[in-house]
Formats: sequence, C-alpha cells, structure tokens
Amino acid sequence: MTDPSVASHRANRRLRQHLDRLATGVIAASGIAVVAAVLAIGVYLTLAVLPLFDAAEVKVEAASTVADEGAIHTVWLADDGMRWLTRDGQLRNAEGTIARLVEDATIAAVAEGDDTQPLALGLSNGEVRLVPRDDRGRLIWTQAATARLFATRGVAALALGHTAQGWVLAGRNTQGDVAALWRAGDALRRLAVPETAEHIAMGHAGRLAISQGTQLTLWKLSPDGKGTALARTDTRAPVTALSFLQGGRTLIVGDAQGELRRWRLSPDDAGWQAAETSYAALGDTAIRRLIALPRQRLWLALDASGRMGLYQSLSGLRWQGQAPRAIPPPAVSINAQGTQVMWLGESGTLQRLAIEAPHAAVSAATLLMPLTYEGHSTAQWRWAAAVTGDEEPQYSLVPLAWGTLKAAAWAMVFAVPLALGAAVHSACYMSRRQRARLKPAIELMEALPGVVIGFVAGLIVAPFVERHLAGTLVLLVCVPLGSVACGWLWRVLSRRWELRLPPISVGVGLMVPLALVCWAALSLSPWLEAWWFGGDLRTWMYQQWGWDYAQRNALIVGMAMGLAIIPTLYSLAEEALSGVPRTLAEGSLALGATRAQTLWRVQLPVAAPGILSAVMIGAGRAVGETMIVLMVTGNTPLMSPSLFEGLRSLAANLAIELPEAAVGGTHYRLLLLGALLLFVFTFAVNTLAEMVRWRLKRRYRRYWGNA
Amino acid sequence: MRIPRLSGDGVWRWLSGACVALSLLAVVALLALVVTRGLAHFWPADIEQLTLDDGQRIAGIPRGSQAGERRYFTANRDLDGQVWRWVEQQAIESRGTPPDLLYVERRDWGPFIGRLTAVETPAGERLQGAEAERRLRRALRGDADVTTLHLRNVEGRSLKVAFAQVASLSWPNRMDIGDKLAAWGHGVWRFLSETPSDGNTGGGVWPAIFGTLLMVMLMSLVVTPFGVLAALYLNEVARQGPLTRLVRIAVRNLAGVPSIVYGVFGLGVFVYGLGGHLDSWFFADRLPSPTFGTGGLLWASLTLALLTLPVVIVATEEGLARVPVALREGSLALGATRFETLRRVVVPMALPSMLTGVILAVARAAGEVAPLMLVGVAKLAPAIPLDDEFPFLHLESKFMHLGYLVFDLGFASRDAEAAMPLVFATATLLVIVILVLNVTAIILRHHLRARHRALEHS
Repeated sequence: MTDPSVASHRANRRLRQHLDRLATGVIAASGIAVVAAVLAIGVYLTLAVLPLFDAAEVKVEAASTVADEGAIHTVWLADDGMRWLTRDGQLRNAEGTIARLVEDATIAAVAEGDDTQPLALGLSNGEVRLVPRDDRGRLIWTQAATARLFATRGVAALALGHTAQGWVLAGRNTQGDVAALWRAGDALRRLAVPETAEHIAMGHAGRLAISQGTQLTLWKLSPDGKGTALARTDTRAPVTALSFLQGGRTLIVGDAQGELRRWRLSPDDAGWQAAETSYAALGDTAIRRLIALPRQRLWLALDASGRMGLYQSLSGLRWQGQAPRAIPPPAVSINAQGTQVMWLGESGTLQRLAIEAPHAAVSAATLLMPLTYEGHSTAQWRWAAAVTGDEEPQYSLVPLAWGTLKAAAWAMVFAVPLALGAAVHSACYMSRRQRARLKPAIELMEALPGVVIGFVAGLIVAPFVERHLAGTLVLLVCVPLGSVACGWLWRVLSRRWELRLPPISVGVGLMVPLALVCWAALSLSPWLEAWWFGGDLRTWMYQQWGWDYAQRNALIVGMAMGLAIIPTLYSLAEEALSGVPRTLAEGSLALGATRAQTLWRVQLPVAAPGILSAVMIGAGRAVGETMIVLMVTGNTPLMSPSLFEGLRSLAANLAIELPEAAVGGTHYRLLLLGALLLFVFTFAVNTLAEMVRWRLKRRYRRYWGNA
Repeated sequence: MRIPRLSGDGVWRWLSGACVALSLLAVVALLALVVTRGLAHFWPADIEQLTLDDGQRIAGIPRGSQAGERRYFTANRDLDGQVWRWVEQQAIESRGTPPDLLYVERRDWGPFIGRLTAVETPAGERLQGAEAERRLRRALRGDADVTTLHLRNVEGRSLKVAFAQVASLSWPNRMDIGDKLAAWGHGVWRFLSETPSDGNTGGGVWPAIFGTLLMVMLMSLVVTPFGVLAALYLNEVARQGPLTRLVRIAVRNLAGVPSIVYGVFGLGVFVYGLGGHLDSWFFADRLPSPTFGTGGLLWASLTLALLTLPVVIVATEEGLARVPVALREGSLALGATRFETLRRVVVPMALPSMLTGVILAVARAAGEVAPLMLVGVAKLAPAIPLDDEFPFLHLESKFMHLGYLVFDLGFASRDAEAAMPLVFATATLLVIVILVLNVTAIILRHHLRARHRALEHS
C-alpha cells in the first residue's frame, strides 16, 4: 500500500520536472530565436544585395505567327505586338485594317522616340508622315500630318532626337543626302545638311552624327536653318551602324570588323570627349544593327553572322548569344521600360525577347573604378545615383567610402590623443576616489545623443569656426602648450609660496585655466590673422594653395565626432590601463624609474593590445555614426583630401537617399550594399578588437595569478 | 631665484591632465550652451525701440552683435517680410524700452511686436486705450470676449488679428521679475503641452514628447523579455563552449554595428517585408496606399528593440555571471529543479542588472534618430497615436520624435534662424530625459555592485 502523500509528492515532482523541461525549452527556443534574429541582419543584407551581381540575360520568350499576308511587309509594331504598320501604309491588327496612313507611296523608314515625340514614317516619295501623341503618350493615328523632307528621292533612314523645346527629326534619302525637320513649339522648319551619309544618328540638342565610309562627323543643327560641322574624325574601319543611347550624349559606333566603340559628347556638346572607348566584340563580322533600349543605357548589337550582344554604356558586354533568325529584323519595337523587345521575322513570326538585366549598370568597374561620365571630360569617381530623367546615374561607392574614412580618420585624430591622454591620466595619476567620480561623468558624455552634438556643431560651431578659423587653428597649438605652462607656473608658485595642491585633480583643476587659454587664443587671433595672413586666413589659403573652404567640413566633423567617440575610447583604454597589474608598475618605480618612464616602458606596452582594441572599437563607431556626419558635413560626395571641404559618408547617404529609393531598384540595392559594407566593416573590426581584449584579459589573469 | 624645471614626468602629468580637462570642458560647454539657450528661449526679454539717424523706427529683441552691428528680432513677418534686422550701432540715435510695446504670439505668421490700438467685442463695440487693454487682459483670463485685435507696429502700419489667432500675449517691458518668472514657467508649460504650429517654428512639442515616450515604451516591452531570455539561454541553459563564446562575441559586437544599418534592416524586413504582407492580407482594400507597408510606430519600436537587444543581453549576462555559484549549487542541492533555481534564486539576484540594462537600452533608444528616419518618424504628426477610436493605439501611424525634431528644425526648416531657440529647447529636453535615464542606471548599478561585494565577502 502506498502512502497517498508519497504519491502526491511523486506527482508533484513529476510536474516540477515537466515544468523544468518546459521552461528550459522555452528559454532555449527564444534564446536561439533572438540570437538568430539578431544575426539575421547580415544575412538579410547579403541576400538583398546579391541580385545586383546577377548575370544579365536575353531570353526569347514566345513565338507566334502574325496571321496576315500583309504582315510580311511590316515596318512597325506596337510594343505589345498587337498592331502593326505595313509597308504600304496600312495600320492593321489581327482582325484587319484599322486605318490607312499612306496613299500613294510606301514606307521606307520608321523612327520612334519616347512618349513626347511623334512616330515618324519616311516615305518613298521623300515625304514624312508624323503621327502625334496625346498627353499620355498614346499615338493619335487620325491626326497624322505630312511634311516634305526631300524633294524627289525617297527617305531611306530616319532618326529622332530631343531638344530643349521639342524634337528634331533627321533623315537620309536613297542617294545619301541628309536633311532634318526641327520642331520648336508649333513651328516646323526644314534644314539641309550639305553632306552625304551612309548612316545617321540623332543626339540631344540638335547634335547629329553621320558617317560616310570611315569618316564620322558631328553636326550641330540649329533652328535658324544652318548646321555646323563640329568635329570630323576617321574611324579604323568603315562604319556600319550608328546609334545614340538614351539621353543623346553617347554615340555607339559599330564597324565592318565587328568592333563597337563609344563616342561621347564633350561637356559643352562642342565635340567629342578625348578618348573613345571600345567594347568586347561579338565576332569579326560587320555590326548590322544597334537597338538602343530606353533605360539604363543598354543596347543590343547584332552582327552579320547572327550573333547578338547586350551591352551597357559603362559596364560593357553583359550578355551574348544567338539572335533569333532574320538579321536585321524588318520591325522591332521596345516597351517603355526597356525590358521587352518585340521582334518580327521575315516569315511573319513574332518573337518576344525578354531583357533580364535590371542591374546591368552595376559592375565591379562601375563601383570601384574612376569613369568618364556623360557631361565630364575626365575619369572620376562619382556618386549620383538619385537622378531624374535622362541623366546618367553615377554609381561609384568610392567617394562614399572615402568620405566615411575621411570623417572617421579626422575624428580619430581628435579623439585618440584626448581619450588616451585622459585614460592615462585617470589610470596613472588619479586617486581611486577621483577616478570613481570621473568615470560616471564620462559615461554620461557617452549618452549624449548624436543629434544634439551634430546640431550644435553644425549650426553653432561651424559658423563660428568659419569666422574664427585662425583662432581655432591657434587653439590646437595653444592648448597643449598652455597646459604645460600651467604646470610649470604651478610649480613655480608652489615653490615660492609653498602652496599646497588642493584636493582636486590636475584634470579638473586645469579646466578654468584652459578655458582662459581658449578665450585668449580666440581673441588674439584677429591680430594674428591681420599680421600674417592679410586679414583673412581663408582668402589667403585660397590664394596660396587653392584651398576652398566649405562651412561644414572635415575639421568640424572631426571635432564633433571626436567628442562623440571620446567616451568609448576612454572607457576601454582606461579599463586596459588600470588592469595592468600594480606589481609591475610598483616594481618599476622601486627600481628607480620615474613615473613617466614607468608609464612609457611598462604600463603602456603591457596595455597596448587593450588600447589598440579601444582604438579599433572607436574607429568602428566613427565609421557608423550617422547623425553627426549628416548634420555637419554638407553631404557633398567629394573625393578631396582637404580638411576644409565637405564629404558624404555611407551612413549619411543611407539616411538621405534610402527613403526615396524605389524598392528593389538598382539604387536601392546599391544603398543596401553600402549598409552591408558598414555592417561587415564594423563587425569585423569589433570582432578583432574583442578577440584582442579577450586575450589581454587572459594575460592579466595570468599576471595576477602569479602575483 | 632658481626657476624649477618641469621634468618629463611633470609634462606628461599635465598634458594628460589637459586631455581630461579639455574633454570635460567640451562637454560642459556643450551642455551649458544647449541648456542656457534652451531655457532662455522662454524668458520674456525686453523689447527695445530704436530710432535710427534716418528717422526709421524699429522695435525688436536684441539677439547678439557682431562687428559693430547689432541684430534684432523684429518679428512681424507678414508686415516686413523678414524677422531679423541688422542695425549699425552708429546709426542708432536713441534706444528705449517703452512699456506699451506688446509681444503677441500668433498661430500663423509667427510673433508680432508693436502696440495695441483697439479691441473689438462680439457686440461690435470698439474699445480703445486703457479700456481695450483691461478688456484684453480679462479676455486672456477667460472672463470676457474679444473678437479682433487692432494692432500697430512702431512704424505706424496697422494690422487686424483675430483673437483666436493669438497663442499668447504679453507686455514684457512692463513685467517685473516675478511676472517674468511666471511667464517663463507658463512658456515652459506651453512648450511641453502644446502641439507645434507655424511650420514647427512655434508652439510646443507635446506630440514629439509623447511619440518618443510611446515608442520607447513599446520598444522596452519587446526588448525586455527577449533580451532577458536570450541572456538566460546563453548563460544558464546553453552548454558553455567555443560556440557560445562565439555567439557572445557576436552579440556584443552587434552593439557596435551602426544604428543606421538597423534602420536599413527595419525598412527592408519590417516595413517592406512584414508590412507589405500584412497589407496584402488584411488591408488589401486600402491598397495601393499602404497601412503597415510604410514606416510607423510599430516598426520603429521593433527596429529599436533589435538595436538595443545587445545592450540588454550584455547587462543581464553580466548580472547573471555575478550571482555566486555557491548559491546556485545550494539551491540545487536542496532539491530545487533548474527552473526553480533560476526563478527563485538567480533571476531575483540579477534583477537589478536587468533593470540597468533596460534603462540603458531606453536611454540609447531615446537618443537614436538615424534608424527612425528610415522606419517611421514624421516631420509633423500633430495627432498623437493614442486616441478614443478603435483600436485606440494606432501602431501603424507615423509619429514625431524629439531627436528628429531637432534635426528637422535645425536643418530642414524654412527659417533655421527663427527656429533655433526652439531647437535648443527641444535639445535641452532630450538631453535632460537621457541624462536622467542614464543617471538612474548608473546609480542602480552602483548600488548593485555594492550589494554584490557584500554578498561575496559574507
């Protein structure tokens, strides 16, 4: 027989054990979950960044037959492939003819621009038919107008380009004569170019590129009826295809040997940029056609042996493969996003090419190398990813990384001496009581929000330093000298009058004299400036060395961010220094070394790894600090080494641009790449520092153990 | 007399002392600047009336001088098109503080400086002179009604202001020190309790205070249990080995990861990921305008919780590690299970250090602005996210934040110069909140260490 109390006791124990297991399970599960969630940051950023480096691809998606006899002569397709225009001027769809646009001629050439420009049809009698668009960019077929481009000969090729007020349509006839129609407001003017050409391409602002054999000429058309030849150059092989890319500042030239070259308009549009760039060739047969896509400065190049390549202006060849049959295709149309090309074969087969290259503009070269961007004449590292309209985005992360490191470096220049000095002082020269008071004060400093420091530095200190630049620089010299002078003075006075040091530390006691030194330096600086620098240091610097001065600059950010990282540096360095076994210092002193000798030869070397890890952690903080840099630097992504110019850091760039960036776009992912860089950098630096600290702690423990 | 030489020892002593002094000096100067300018904002300064040598008359509050010129805050943006005047010192013919100069804070167009000519009552009466003033004072107390104020600036241009437009009104030149103190207190109270007006350059910051507090509270609700559980797991449950050490180092390092990176994570995972899905599941009828798929209170709190998780974990672990092994072993030897030992012995002893961790986390969260800029802070959101409409607490709404207000007022406002006093006041408030939190944490930790020391020695 069992005692009921024992039974209940047993049940109770079982319950307790269950409870124990349950609780342990819950703790373990949520603990692991939390740790995983925290570590997920790195994983998420990596996953979000990876698509940037996906290979581009062109896929032939669907093939269907346009069930229409007339379609064999199709010269134009709507971008969904549902309507087409036949050579004899009928607009048709699968059901039949919708409208007839041309009566007694055939269509020989088509040019289609963006949704502000008309559809232009070049006719065999030298006329052009212009189909206008409504506000939404849809073609209004019923309002097609006619204009005469050539007197007798038929049109052979057309090219459209945009100008400030409207558009310009250039054409070439079967004989090679070139003429253009300039549209400004409601007026349409005809201009003739006194030259013959085999290929034509229209850029922005009336820039026309024409080629004849190996000669490439850039013309400037203007609405007053005259054209001027701006530049004539010879290419290496006869030109077989010409096309301007989106924006109309970059010309792609394909030649008979299969080479592709890029020619860029110079910044003033008056000629070409000094150097042409050549791209990886598809093969050695002639380039037959260039199809410029309306986004990201992409284009498709087709050569005579049926090869096709997808190129990007800056990052070069992104994909190559076989083109669908029929080179060149009779009719091609591109959707507004540049992701689909409708392609009509000779036998009436309609194919859709899907261009999967959302981040084609990003490559190692565009991120890391200096490039010559549109509108610039030299190769530079530039960041301007948030662009509007047809501007070329500039995707180099180098200026941002430079700005980050520059700001952090200057912050370290200010913070390291101050924080290490303070740590040395409190570890070696302060009594335990004084230290116990100082530490919380410095910890409070650490709690000061960056936004407050940044606001004071940006709105109060920056204008002040701008007015008193000389004074600020004098301060940097005066403060150390002044403090040593104070020490000397103190010694003189205490010898003379046998004054006793009051029971406050040197550190606190120096505050008032140092404030006086600062004030004196600032009030003396105008005279100094007048005496040496002709009254204004900034002007003098500009004249002597060509240094610009921006109000918000690296000097200010160094001071502000330095102040923000001093507490971190101080606490860690102080911890390392005060952990140095006292027996070592005492031994050194007992052997007759002075305090300074003990400090430099014993304490600092022993604590060096700890101090190094403090510096590393401080640097990590400086690199990631956002608000101070955002408020104090002016956020100009410059690559200048000057102390007096602005910068933009990765972190500040995230705060500025990420809220506006389209989710999933190239810009968005590049910003995330910036965040990933920050994450990896700080994580690596901190891990290293943590490992150094851990080893140091072990070493100290050994010392103590032996003592 | 022999001049004593400063030895190498002395040089280092004084140089390193100077480092301490300079660091402290910088912080003290910064705090002093922020706090004095912030509190001075509410002090009703005397208004000066100047007559210049060309006969022009100006009334304004002197605010600094530079290179022989004095700067006056002249208000009256609607009359003059500007609120600041630089006056050459030599050009000033006479200067005085006439007692009848009036300072009106309006809900639109900013403050007005000038004189009162008349008031209109609802009955259509038009009172002038001393009677008008008496009536106005009574109206301000709520004893009488006034519809319109007729005002005149010192140049003689007149202006009508509806009484409803008046936020506050005073004759600073007539006030004695007691009145001014009272007005100062009133100003501070209005700053703390009112909603912003006039493009954030006037009024108070109550929504920002409330937003900051609410966000921080939600954050600590999330971070406390999870942080403590993770610390318990790492310290008490997981087997101690190289892996736990690695995890511990990783967690510690996450405290050093830039806060903006957490913001990016919050934006990508919480706002666009979770929020986007929530929208498509529950709020599909409101799309494409997002409900949870845009920055908001909930996402901001979660992001900051993640950001402060390492702080709580590290502090709690420290506390747990300090609990003497003997106590645990004693409890286990008496037959308690591991969970009971945790619940009855270990956790109560580590409680204060957990609290310290949470307070430090709150202090850090209250001062963080960068991640909030990505996950839901708003420039202006006068409606607080807590009201009497179901579900009472609007987790998806945007909120205002003191730190962001400082940034926004100082760097993105129409007239940064005019907003400056308010920025200082807001910064003061923020600094005070954060300092109080930190001091609490420091004191708590101090007591804690003392207690543990006693425990270890006993």
